[in-house]
Amino acid sequence: MKYILSFVLNGQPVDVLAEPTDTLLDVLREKLRVMSPKRGCDEGDCGACTVLLNGEPVRSCLTLALSVAGQEVMTVEGLSKNGKLHPLQRAFHEHYAAQCGFCTPGMILAAKALLDKNPHPTREEIVEAISGNLCRCGTYQEVLEAVQAVARGEYAEVKE
Amino acid sequence: MGECIYFAPTEIGEAVRLLAEYREKVTVVAGGTDLLPKINYYQLKPEVLLHIGRLGLDYIKEADGKLVIGAATPTSKLASNPLVAERASALAEAARQSGSAAIRTTATIGGNLANASPAADLATPLLILDAELLLTSTRGNRKVAINDFFVGPGKTVLEPDELLIEVSLPHQKGKSVFLKLGRRKAMTLSVVNVAVRLEMEGAQCKDARIALGAMAPVPLRCTRAESLIKGQVLDKSLIDRCAAEAVAESSPIDDQRATSWYRKKAGTVLVARALARAADMEG
Amino acid sequence: MTEYVGKPIPRYDGIGHVTGRTTFVDDIHLPGMLYIKVLLSPVHKGIIRHLDVSAAERMPGVAGVITAKDVPGKNAYGLIPDQPVFTPEHIRYKGERIAAVAAVDEDTAMEALEKIKLEIEEQTPVFDPFEAMQPDAPLVRPEGNVWVFNSGTTRKIRLGDVEEGFKQADYIIEGTYTNSTNDHAPMEPQVSVAYIDETDRLAIHTVSQDLYFHLGMLSAIFNLPMNKIRYIGGTVGGGFGAKNDIHCDHVAGLMALKIRKPVKYRLTRHEEMLYTTKRGPWTFEFKDGVKKDGRIVARKVRTIHDTGAYSGMGPYVVDKNAILVAGPFAIPNIWIDGICVYTNKPPASSMRGFGIINGTSAEQLQMNRIAEAIGMDPWEIRFINAWRDGDIGATQFTVVAAGLIEAMKRAAELAGVELPERLKAMSSRGR
Repeated sequence: MKYILSFVLNGQPVDVLAEPTDTLLDVLREKLRVMSPKRGCDEGDCGACTVLLNGEPVRSCLTLALSVAGQEVMTVEGLSKNGKLHPLQRAFHEHYAAQCGFCTPGMILAAKALLDKNPHPTREEIVEAISGNLCRCGTYQEVLEAVQAVARGEYAEVKE
Repeated sequence: MGECIYFAPTEIGEAVRLLAEYREKVTVVAGGTDLLPKINYYQLKPEVLLHIGRLGLDYIKEADGKLVIGAATPTSKLASNPLVAERASALAEAARQSGSAAIRTTATIGGNLANASPAADLATPLLILDAELLLTSTRGNRKVAINDFFVGPGKTVLEPDELLIEVSLPHQKGKSVFLKLGRRKAMTLSVVNVAVRLEMEGAQCKDARIALGAMAPVPLRCTRAESLIKGQVLDKSLIDRCAAEAVAESSPIDDQRATSWYRKKAGTVLVARALARAADMEG
Repeated sequence: MTEYVGKPIPRYDGIGHVTGRTTFVDDIHLPGMLYIKVLLSPVHKGIIRHLDVSAAERMPGVAGVITAKDVPGKNAYGLIPDQPVFTPEHIRYKGERIAAVAAVDEDTAMEALEKIKLEIEEQTPVFDPFEAMQPDAPLVRPEGNVWVFNSGTTRKIRLGDVEEGFKQADYIIEGTYTNSTNDHAPMEPQVSVAYIDETDRLAIHTVSQDLYFHLGMLSAIFNLPMNKIRYIGGTVGGGFGAKNDIHCDHVAGLMALKIRKPVKYRLTRHEEMLYTTKRGPWTFEFKDGVKKDGRIVARKVRTIHDTGAYSGMGPYVVDKNAILVAGPFAIPNIWIDGICVYTNKPPASSMRGFGIINGTSAEQLQMNRIAEAIGMDPWEIRFINAWRDGDIGATQFTVVAAGLIEAMKRAAELAGVELPERLKAMSSRGR
């Protein structure tokens, strides 16, 4: 049976038809064609599908789509404002924190969730925050440096 | 996939009415972190999905001297809540070590228990804290001690029409400790986990609770090992004997994470370490 | 030129990665696109006695079913083209492809797979390469279970006279080392999108690491000239050798050719882990002759590589390993036999280093074992034996621009190890 699912995606209200067994990842990718959350394992291990639900990082492949009704979902598509990259996006780019790029959207959102709560995390806190986001290319060190650079204020938000 | 219907009631009365109506056809979903992999990989085709995330079961509070936790409380809140840290430090530690940040946000305490994995991280701390579970149905409420809740891998005493709604912890004396060994440091399932609570008077152990995870078909309370140290003055050799006894009560299996042999070896070390820590005898 | 040397250059694809705009193959969606699921063998070894796909073909939502009969060209691919796209008869490993269904979605395709009637006469498999080498072992392959090199059933490397070397030695030190199977596990699972384009060419969006190599194989499978195939690559979500072999493009291409509609075939993580090519397991049997002063005077190594049911890149990997397994050491007498064995497991193929690092891990453990056996520091045994300019390597080449000693000195520095003066005084420029 199909249900109408209404939620807020990157600040915009959306309505979409969803099956009860659809995951949020299914709805984002296969129905809304929001492609930054990646399908890496479909069982919560890899972190490539991480999105923010009301600001908290969740696995979209483990989140029942219908359960997000009325809530706010953010993907990397919603990060840049007026064409300006988010500080984390600039830092990831300049620190070479993306190699193949498949884990990058999830990694950036995991880092954003951390910095929103804790703008000056320790190294250990950053490591813990991204520990559920696998990068097989091995860019963890660069990711760590990029997040640290943002935390140090090196990528302050560009004022309009 | 066949037609599946979905309910997300906002009142417990409505949830239990649906459970009574659809019984075995219902798959209850809270955070979904254990359930969705089964659906995604065609291992489970639910007929009715009952989402319990909107029942107002996300709370941690103190009531009648007890620490009371709603079944849909996410693991991340157990990890960061000051009341849990103060009253149930082993539970807070187990929550911190379970899954990853994005799993803890959604995975719930009730889901971890009702899923009844022998390796459930939150089960062993709740066993040593004498947790009591509140089950409800259209037939009324009943309370079940956590030690009576698990029946086997994936099996509990929950009837098809019953819902786990609350976990309560009586005020406990003594220090509780949780230790986990996984294949990696983070984002890993337990190869073995251990929870221990000791009430000490000097070097004498007044009361003891020891529980082992991933070492038996259910999260296991090790009562023989407990009685070995109750009333005794603890020293290293007694702790080692107690750890050996705890593991002797278990029956671990070989699986993709570890062999039974390894689990016994590692379990013995972990129990001894947890006992020493709980008795402030480390060093 | 100099403006780029020693300076970081922004990645041309970096902004795409951090904004999520990089288009990976699974991000491609075409109107009316159908989804493929493949019926994989549930047994490790057997013969297909009966295969009937008609009920699946008739199912609503199903656009087409293909089997070995639908391969217009050569039903074989690989560096050594011996693996069928769909097995027509013989099943050699669990997970071998038997038939593919294209349907409106993956759920429907999965249901259609259940409607395929398949009868298999199960046979006794062999999983252990040492058992597979026995004369009475079940045959994985009709031609035998051991790959035949130009030099026979072993890849032979010979330098000097190893038996003579053992006679000169003060110690004989033996060691056996094993590596287990390893999956590449790139973050992006295997996936392919195929369709017939507006010029009637077969277009395939691929995750291939190796486009022209695969294009040739696909041309043979489809029986199409290469200029009738638009093979579109460029964005790979990690490969590590997993995408050096075809896993989806042949199936997707065959389906698109048959039903003439866009199709997507993607593997689940489980399918990828269980059934795709791997770094295969190895056994290394070392026997070294060593003098009291630490010089290795003879090294005999037998390597046994389990390449699974098909060659993959196994023979190439064994070849490369054999050339390098004696290590970067001046050993006058070397004898190496590399063996590539078939078993009823998914084919082993390339993964990061093509067998070299497997060999190095064994050879370096053996160096430590030698050091322990003769009571010498593990650094010293390596410094004494390390190649110097002018030394002769296992394949009878002359070493030039050797650098191991300098690299080890730097490694010691970084590791905070204080080396004795006599080692610090050594150089790759001479003994």
